[in-house]
Amino acid sequence: MTLSTRKGTVNIVEVNRHDNNIHAGQGTLKGLDIVFRKFRKALFGKANTERDDTEGQFNVQYPEERLVLAEAYRNMPILLYDDATGQELCTSCFQCERVCPPQVIHITQAKHPETGKPVPAAAEFVLEYDTCMSCGYCAEVCPFDAIKMDHDFELSTADHPALDVHYTHLLRPVSYYEAIAPTMWAEVRDAALKKLQNNIKRRPGNIGVDHGQKIAGKSSAAAPKAATPAAGAAGRKQYTGPIAKVGTSMSEDKLARLMAIREANTGKRGGPPESGAHAIEADVATNAAGQVAPSDQATSGSAASKATGPVAAPGKNMSEDKLARLMAIREANKAKQGE
Amino acid sequence: MTYWPVIAVDAWIGLVLVSIIKVTLILVGGSLGMMFLTWYERRAIAYMQDRRGPNRVGPQGLLQPVSEAIKTMTKEDITPLDADRVVHFLAPVVMLGATVLAFAVIPWGNLFPSSLRVGVLFIFAVTGLHTVGMLMAGWGSNNKFALLGGMRGVAQMVSYEIPLLMALLPIILLSGSLSLTDIVTRQGDWYGFGWYVFSPVGLTAFITFFIAALAEGERTPFDIPEADSEIVAGYLTEYGGMKFAVFYLSNYMTNLALCFIMASLFLGGGNGPGVTALGTVLGGLLSLVYFFIKALALFFLMVLIRGTVPRLRVDQLMGFAWKFLLPIVLVNVFSTAIWVAITRWGPQAQIFTDWFGEPASDNYLRYGVAIVVTLIINLLAVYAVMRINRRQPSDLTEEEIALGLAG
Repeated sequence: MTLSTRKGTVNIVEVNRHDNNIHAGQGTLKGLDIVFRKFRKALFGKANTERDDTEGQFNVQYPEERLVLAEAYRNMPILLYDDATGQELCTSCFQCERVCPPQVIHITQAKHPETGKPVPAAAEFVLEYDTCMSCGYCAEVCPFDAIKMDHDFELSTADHPALDVHYTHLLRPVSYYEAIAPTMWAEVRDAALKKLQNNIKRRPGNIGVDHGQKIAGKSSAAAPKAATPAAGAAGRKQYTGPIAKVGTSMSEDKLARLMAIREANTGKRGGPPESGAHAIEADVATNAAGQVAPSDQATSGSAASKATGPVAAPGKNMSEDKLARLMAIREANKAKQGE
Repeated sequence: MTYWPVIAVDAWIGLVLVSIIKVTLILVGGSLGMMFLTWYERRAIAYMQDRRGPNRVGPQGLLQPVSEAIKTMTKEDITPLDADRVVHFLAPVVMLGATVLAFAVIPWGNLFPSSLRVGVLFIFAVTGLHTVGMLMAGWGSNNKFALLGGMRGVAQMVSYEIPLLMALLPIILLSGSLSLTDIVTRQGDWYGFGWYVFSPVGLTAFITFFIAALAEGERTPFDIPEADSEIVAGYLTEYGGMKFAVFYLSNYMTNLALCFIMASLFLGGGNGPGVTALGTVLGGLLSLVYFFIKALALFFLMVLIRGTVPRLRVDQLMGFAWKFLLPIVLVNVFSTAIWVAITRWGPQAQIFTDWFGEPASDNYLRYGVAIVVTLIINLLAVYAVMRINRRQPSDLTEEEIALGLAG
C-alpha cells in the first residue's frame, strides 16, 4: 500500500500481528516459519533496493555499492569559488564564525595592499574539521552562499593536524557544488553570482582569486559529471588547480556572462593580469567567435582586443531603462572615484 | 616364547601410531569444524536478519574465523587479581577436555574413531564434566556475575541431563545396544532409510533430545549461563584472549558433537540410499557426505531457533525441563517398550503372533499397529502434559493448592 503525503509517497507494509488462535507451541512454529522465510528471501530473493518491503536483503555493500546521497546531505563545510574567474564567494563577513556552535571557523579578512582597508575577501580561512559537528549553521547563515556542506564523508586520516583545513583545501568550484546539489544551487545561484559580481568590484588586484591558484598542477577539467560521493572525493583533488578553462559544452548564455565578467575584471585590473589568464582569454575569444550568437547581451563587445576601456561597453539590445540605470550607476561611480 | 616381546612391541607401536593419527584427525577436524560452524552460524543468522554477515575475509568470508583466531591469540592473557589462579586457568582446559573426549567415540559417517561398547554412556558421562568446568570458571573468576552464570549453568545442565538421557533410552531400547557403532549400522535397513526418527517413538525422542541438547549446548533460548543482557557474559565475564577462545572453541565443539550425536542416533548417521551399494571406500565417502549434510541441517535448525526465540527466564527453563520434557520423555520410554514388544516379540508373547503374524522386517501389519498404538500414547501424553501445564493457579481447587499442585 502506498500513501501519498505532502512530501512524497510512503510505502506502508501491513503485517497481521493479531492472531489470537495460537496455542500448544504453534507460536514457536509460526515464528520459525517467519524467520525461515526471511532467510530464504534474503538469500535467494531479489534485493530490497526500493525499501518497500519488510523482507529481502537490505544491505548495501558499501565500498562497491553506494546509496545516492540526498542533496541536502551535509558532512563538512566547503567554500566555493567561481569556476570561470576563480573568484571566491566568501567575503569574510564573519557570520559563519559567529554562528558556529563549536567555534571551529577562523577567518582573516583581506586588506587592501595600499590603503590597508578591509576588502570583501578572506585572506585566510581555517576550519577545524576534527571539531566541526556538521550542523550546517554556517551554510545556512552565509549571506553570499559561499560556504556549503560537502557530501564527501570519507575523511578518515592518520594526519591529525591536517584536519585544521586551510583555505586552499576548502575551496571547491561552484560547478562541483552544482553537481552534488543541483536544485539547491539553482535556488540561490543567481543571487549568489550577482553578489559575487558586486564584491569582485571591490577586490583590488589578485585578492579573492589567489587562494585557488596556490596549488599548482593539473589543468582542471570542466564540470564534474557524477553526483556520487566517489566523484566528489575525486573532485576534491580535481578542482584545486588554476582558473578553469571555458568548457566547450558551456551554454551560450553562460559563456556570454562569463565573457562579460572576465572582461570587466581585465578592465578593472588595468591590463592583462598574467600570462595564464591571458591565454584563457584568447581561448575564450576564439570560442566566442565560433559559438556565440550576436544577440547575446554581453558579447556585443566581446572580442578580447576590444576590451581596453575600464568598463564594458553597454549591450546592444539592452532594454532602455536598464541601460539608463547602468549609465547612472557608472556616472555615480566615476564621481565617487574622482573625489 | 622368544618372539612374543617383539610382537608385543610391534603391536604397541602400531597402536600408538594409529591412536596418534586418530587423535590428530579428531582434534584438527573438531577445531576446523568449530571454525566452520562459527562462520556458518554468523552467515545463516545474518540472512535471517536481512543482512549478509562476514563476507570479506577470504572467499565468502570463510577465513573470518582464522582472522579472529589470530586476533584472540595475540591478545593479552589477563587473570583478575583476586581470582583463584589455578582454577581460573584450568576451567577452559576442563571444558575443552570434556568436549574433545566426547569426540573419541562419535562416528563420522560410517567411520568410527573407536568402537566403544558403552559409547553412548561414555559420551554423556564425559560431557557431564562440562558442568565442572563451568562452575570452575564461575567460582575461580571471583566475580559475582561469573558466579551467577556458573551456578545458573550448573542448574541448567543438571536439569537437562535427565531429559537428555531419558530421551536417549528409546534409541537404546530400539537398537538393543549402547555402542554408537551398532546404533548407526542398525539404521541401515530399508535402503538406508531405517532411521529411528521415522517412528513415533523415535520422533518424540528426537524432538525432546533436540530441545534438551539446545540446553546442553547453551544455545539461545537456553543460553542462560551467559545471558549477556542480565549477567554481563556469565562465567565468561573474566576471560579474554586465548582462554576465552578456548571456551568458545569448546562451546562450538560441543554443539558440533551434539549435532553429530543427533545425526548418528536419530537420523541414521551416514546411512542413506546407495551407501551399502557403493562398497567400502566410495560408500564410506558418501556416508561422510550424508552425515555432514544431516549434521549441518541440524545445526541450521539450531541457528534458526536462535534467530527466532528469545531467552527463557530461569524459572521457565526449569519448569520446562521438569514439568514438560520429563513426563513426555518418560511416557515415550514406556511407549517404546510397547513398540519393541509389538514389532519384535515372537515366542515371548504368543498372542501377538496369533494376531499380527511372525515378527519380521517385512511384516508391515506389526509395524502399522505399533505406529498407531505408540502415536496415540504419545499424543495423549503431550496433550495431557500441556493441559496440566496450562492450568492457572485460579483454576485449582483449594484441595489441590493444599496438596502443593499450584504453579
